[in-house]
Amino acid sequence: MRSVPLRRNTLVLSATLLILAIFAWAGWANWEYRRQEAERLLAGAGQGELVPVPGGGAQYVSPLNGKPAPAFELKDLTGNKVSLASYRGKAVLINFWATWCAPCKLETPWIVELRQKYAAQGFEVLGVDTEGDDLKPDDKAGWAKATAAAGKFVAEEKMPYPVLLDGDSISRDYGGLDDLPTSFFVDRKGVVVAAQVGLTSESDIESKIQKALNQ
Amino acid sequence: MNILKKPFIAMIAALAVAALSAHGQSQSAQSRPLVKTDAVTYLFPEQVSVPVGKPSQVALHFRIAQGLHINSHTPSDEFLIPTEFSIPDGSGVRLAGITYPAGTMIALPIDPTTKLSVYTGEFILQARIVAAAGNHLVQGKLHYQACDQNQCMPPKTINVAFDVIGK
Repeated sequence: MRSVPLRRNTLVLSATLLILAIFAWAGWANWEYRRQEAERLLAGAGQGELVPVPGGGAQYVSPLNGKPAPAFELKDLTGNKVSLASYRGKAVLINFWATWCAPCKLETPWIVELRQKYAAQGFEVLGVDTEGDDLKPDDKAGWAKATAAAGKFVAEEKMPYPVLLDGDSISRDYGGLDDLPTSFFVDRKGVVVAAQVGLTSESDIESKIQKALNQ
Repeated sequence: MNILKKPFIAMIAALAVAALSAHGQSQSAQSRPLVKTDAVTYLFPEQVSVPVGKPSQVALHFRIAQGLHINSHTPSDEFLIPTEFSIPDGSGVRLAGITYPAGTMIALPIDPTTKLSVYTGEFILQARIVAAAGNHLVQGKLHYQACDQNQCMPPKTINVAFDVIGK
């Protein structure tokens, strides 16, 4: 008879401990969920760093798709100001790159070739160099070095299209540009119709150029 | 007592269901593909003791995130940014020299002919430091530029913090 209350107490104590353990577990699970959700949203805003996905590569859906391409005016290698607005009526590939980016170097010959192929249909490329990511505005020597490196790269790769400097000054408008190469395909009305981050293929770039031309 | 038992059991069941539901949400989040990563992490040592005024070797261990690589100290292309370690002046510890590991030669899948000299996984820098007497919190700097097979991140400098005790 005396063992019954004891057994009941043990049961109640066990149940209480179980409830506490479940609460602790649920609390941790909720915290982890909120943390990952916050990271996901940040990455989705295009402000994150490299974002791996299972199986390799990275995923990128630009928040600019379907919206007017942010306006800009930057200097080219010769010091002339070039604005995106001056290309209204043409399909434009805005290609953000840097000399230190090996995948950028691999895709450049494709872009040069496609530019030649579609120029007659009203297609142009604006190469935007993002060399000076860690340079301060008053670092004249640093900027001179970066500009010289970009000029050498352009000469070696025989890039026939305008190459603009200080791409970092417009990077925020284009979603952060934490990874290169990053390209935006803009239709004749100035609307972003496609975007890509990272190296894909020449055929993929070509299909996006055609989309920009035919919108 | 039987009257009390049923609500008690029901309460336990309700709490368990609520907790399991929360866990289900968490698992759903974990299956999402987007996970931000730092390219390079400093591992150790956190503290070293060295004789005062004498060059002493310290092995600095780093880890590169899975799927990423950084250029070695001697990249294969003049445009690529080398990995470099430095110690700012005024910390009571001077970097007398450093030995970088040789890079591993890799090629991007899309262009097997172009070789890149890189570090992947874990790597060790053999730094030779000279310390003044006393305790010094060294804020070393590692400058690197990371990529995966398709894209690159901008160059970055991370702090490499470790205590140096000069005896």
